Amino acid sequence: MPSQRSANQWVEAWRRMRRQRLTMFCLAIIVLYIGLAIWAFTGVGFPDWDKGDYTRNNEGCSLQHWLGTDIQGQDILFQTIYGTRVALTVATVAALLAAVIGTVLGTVAGFFGGIIDELITWLYSTLASIPGILLLMAFAFVLKDKQFDLFGWHFRLTGINAVYLALGLTGWVGLCRLIRGEVIKHRDRDYIVAARAIGVSNSRILFRYLIPNVFHLVIITFSLSFVGYIHAEVILTYLGLGVVDVPSWGKMIRDGGQELAKGHWQQLTAAAVAIFIISYALHIFGDALRDALDPKLRGEGI
Amino acid sequence: MTQVAEQPVATGPSADYIRQLVPDPILTVRDLKTWFPVRRGVLRRTVAHVKAVDGVNFNVPRGQTLGLVGESGCGKTTVGRTILRLIPATSGEVRFNDTPLFELGRGEMRRMRRNMQIIFQDPVSSLNPRMTVGAIVGEPLRVHGMASGSELADRVESLLKRVGLSPEYRRRYPHEFSGGQRQRIGIARALALEPELIICDEPVSALDVSIQSQILNLLGDLQDELGLSYLFIAHNLAVIEHFCDVVAVMYLGRIVEMASAAELYDNPRHPYTMALLSAAPHPMPGRKSERIILRGEVPSPMNPPGGCPFHPRCHMAQPRCGEQVPQLEPKAGQDGHVAACLVTE
Repeated sequence: MPSQRSANQWVEAWRRMRRQRLTMFCLAIIVLYIGLAIWAFTGVGFPDWDKGDYTRNNEGCSLQHWLGTDIQGQDILFQTIYGTRVALTVATVAALLAAVIGTVLGTVAGFFGGIIDELITWLYSTLASIPGILLLMAFAFVLKDKQFDLFGWHFRLTGINAVYLALGLTGWVGLCRLIRGEVIKHRDRDYIVAARAIGVSNSRILFRYLIPNVFHLVIITFSLSFVGYIHAEVILTYLGLGVVDVPSWGKMIRDGGQELAKGHWQQLTAAAVAIFIISYALHIFGDALRDALDPKLRGEGI
Repeated sequence: MTQVAEQPVATGPSADYIRQLVPDPILTVRDLKTWFPVRRGVLRRTVAHVKAVDGVNFNVPRGQTLGLVGESGCGKTTVGRTILRLIPATSGEVRFNDTPLFELGRGEMRRMRRNMQIIFQDPVSSLNPRMTVGAIVGEPLRVHGMASGSELADRVESLLKRVGLSPEYRRRYPHEFSGGQRQRIGIARALALEPELIICDEPVSALDVSIQSQILNLLGDLQDELGLSYLFIAHNLAVIEHFCDVVAVMYLGRIVEMASAAELYDNPRHPYTMALLSAAPHPMPGRKSERIILRGEVPSPMNPPGGCPFHPRCHMAQPRCGEQVPQLEPKAGQDGHVAACLVTE
């Protein structure tokens, strides 16, 4: 029997992860990226990197421009840092959207069963049967530059909003399936029967019993799919469907790729390294989180 | 609830014998049927029914214990859950203190749940792993708005004490406890609403033998102190012998024998009961009784054998057993002792 006060699963998971140096190192990297993104957002003390100086384009590394300048004479280092902002906001919003849709649909399908379950299963099976990147492109293509009015608000889906929506609307399938299966497993357990015998309402069973018991899966999926959303944003932008008006890593790779033949490698490399480091950190952290929250899932990919 | 067949309730002589056996019931169950449809094919047509409970009658004595015994799959758990309306009944009537439960509306049934609770077999899955012990035990009080704040905390502490657990445990999570302790937590939750009837669904089957007696003693003490009535479901006649006042033996969704506990053990009148009793180990090493080995498996409740459902496995079976369905009828012995057998007297 452990110590006097017992911890809930989140505190327990944190304790487990605290002991792993690599995990804590990756967490530090993630925090650093978030810090940089916030810095780019607020703009406080952020240099005027984007005032292109065409007389000084495609420069090499120097004290003034640590990573040199691109074809328009913009500073590559700060361009990369600014790209963090787009990458993290797109991934956060998309992952949140996917998590909400996946959790709600998965729980509802698993809990109520019957025709509701059939409908939701049919919907995600259909989405899952279309190759991911094609579906994403189709969504992004359709949503791009759409205008609509909702509750008196006027929306225009500029590049970045279309990417949020496209990613969020296609990304919930895996989580939905996972949650549905898990809810079905829990639904017939005795503690749910006990709750019914007590007279607990359906909504309380959903929110106090079922969702807390599957919520670690939402967190794990969120952290592991985050990398995927960063990549997807880069790919979409590279294909010309994503963010065109804001500096982002995808745009850097797109622009930098064309300059590579002329020997200007800094822009492409800077974006690739930035993506590599955050991908690596998120992967390691997500795996550690999964192992800490749900040891039974160890070694399984999501 | 789908009415499969309109049948007169509490008819026939069996109801009289039940009244003779249990004159002052807290719960009466009459002709209870729970059938699960078996659906096949694209159109999900109902092709058959699993008759998990097929016409069961009994009374639970007030302030005493009715034992419901049978093999796995005989429908005893379904009986318990159907009574509490956790599974919809196909037909029949259940009265709690003369209130017909199946006719209550949602809100009325919810209030009625205060009077009857359930304890489960599996101490692992019966407690929500994401709630603290205090939240689990306090949940019934909170849901029914019977206590809140510091009053709730006090009630939870006294409930934990009542079942022999330290009140400090209320901040811990279920996985930190042993099977016996978890079962005590489950009992505390069932007691929270101060029910009159508790359905004990094999509450000791998953526990070590030494822990079993502790839990049984606790349940016995609670019965004496609070005047509880139990419907005690078990597959082990030895466990039931000293704990129950009246015992009903179930086979394939029906009751095949019912008598007061002492009478049933001394004078079993149904071959199935005899076989179950012969399987129980004897405390006296020298005394060896003849063991009756049941042949074959329990038949599928989807397709029960014709005639007496037990006849393919019975050691006393005669040709007429395959043709005629026996009804519960009085047998030699104490008043109210009934069994459904064509052969025994």
